Amino acid sequence: MKNWFGVMLVMLLVGLFSSSLHAQSFGAPLSLKETTSISAILENPDSFVGKTLQVRGLVVNVCASRGCWMSIAAEKPFEQLRFKVEDGEMVFPMTARGKTATVEGVLQKFVLSKEDVIAYQTHHAQQTGESFDPATVTSGETYFQLRGLGAVIEDL
Amino acid sequence: MSFRRFNHALHRDIGYLCIGLTLIYALSGIAVNHLHGWNPNYTLEKSIATIPPSSYRGVVSEAMVLDMLRLIGERPTYENIFQPDPESLMVFVDGRVIQFHLPTGVVEYERAQRRPVWHALNYIHLNHAKKAWTWIADVYAVGLILLSLTGLALLPKGKFRVRCLVLTIVGILIPIIPLLLYY
Repeated sequence: MKNWFGVMLVMLLVGLFSSSLHAQSFGAPLSLKETTSISAILENPDSFVGKTLQVRGLVVNVCASRGCWMSIAAEKPFEQLRFKVEDGEMVFPMTARGKTATVEGVLQKFVLSKEDVIAYQTHHAQQTGESFDPATVTSGETYFQLRGLGAVIEDL
Repeated sequence: MSFRRFNHALHRDIGYLCIGLTLIYALSGIAVNHLHGWNPNYTLEKSIATIPPSSYRGVVSEAMVLDMLRLIGERPTYENIFQPDPESLMVFVDGRVIQFHLPTGVVEYERAQRRPVWHALNYIHLNHAKKAWTWIADVYAVGLILLSLTGLALLPKGKFRVRCLVLTIVGILIPIIPLLLYY
């Protein structure tokens, strides 16, 4: 009897704390079989708005306060796409920076006025601890992000 | 055994079983309630250095990355790089992010490290483990339900007092009033 109890306890602990050393998943399991290039999305983003997409790339930044977004590098230089989730829905670790992630989400389009851009950049600067000068914003802008459904980050 | 004694024993024993998780959930709850003021999971160690400014703008070659790492006394190896713009370079190496700003020569080092204790508490509270932990958390939730229901029947000396009713009504109103105000 005691032996059985011991075996069950060990199995429970293994089930509880075992996790893949190579990948950690967040949110819903990935469902799409094809990955779309981020650069292809950014080349003609309007044609992808509202579509569920899977993208893969290097995580270059993570929300420092809530872990509620990741920026993923595109294939072409100087391009990145933000993967955003509701606060607490998924919490991405700061240690994801520099790792490769495969994520799925719905592409959203935001048209911001100059005031909106200043408010957004101020908030972003607070989250990342970066400095931001509102005088550098001269006009409104349009930006795109993936509304996150699920993600897998490798080698976490 | 009378109902009163059975209820008392049940309340006491469930209380013992729930103590660990209750403390974890409560402490982590306070921590994540104040996310605007601090990151309860990670500390960010930052430091700054400078190298000679560069007039180069554009895609940085691998040889240039290695040269820049040598300039700051780092080993000439890295895991990944990214350029957010033609003037900047991010190098990911050994869990650190090293950011070079070419026009100014400013180099920022950043390392995110797990907060001792807090990261583990939040890991449990926010169910990052998933797997069997989800079921244990459900069992714990059932335990809390039983704890509150058996608590209702813990009448002082077995007699109903007005105080019991008043405190119970206050306990119910505490979540309802914010819902009426903010929801």
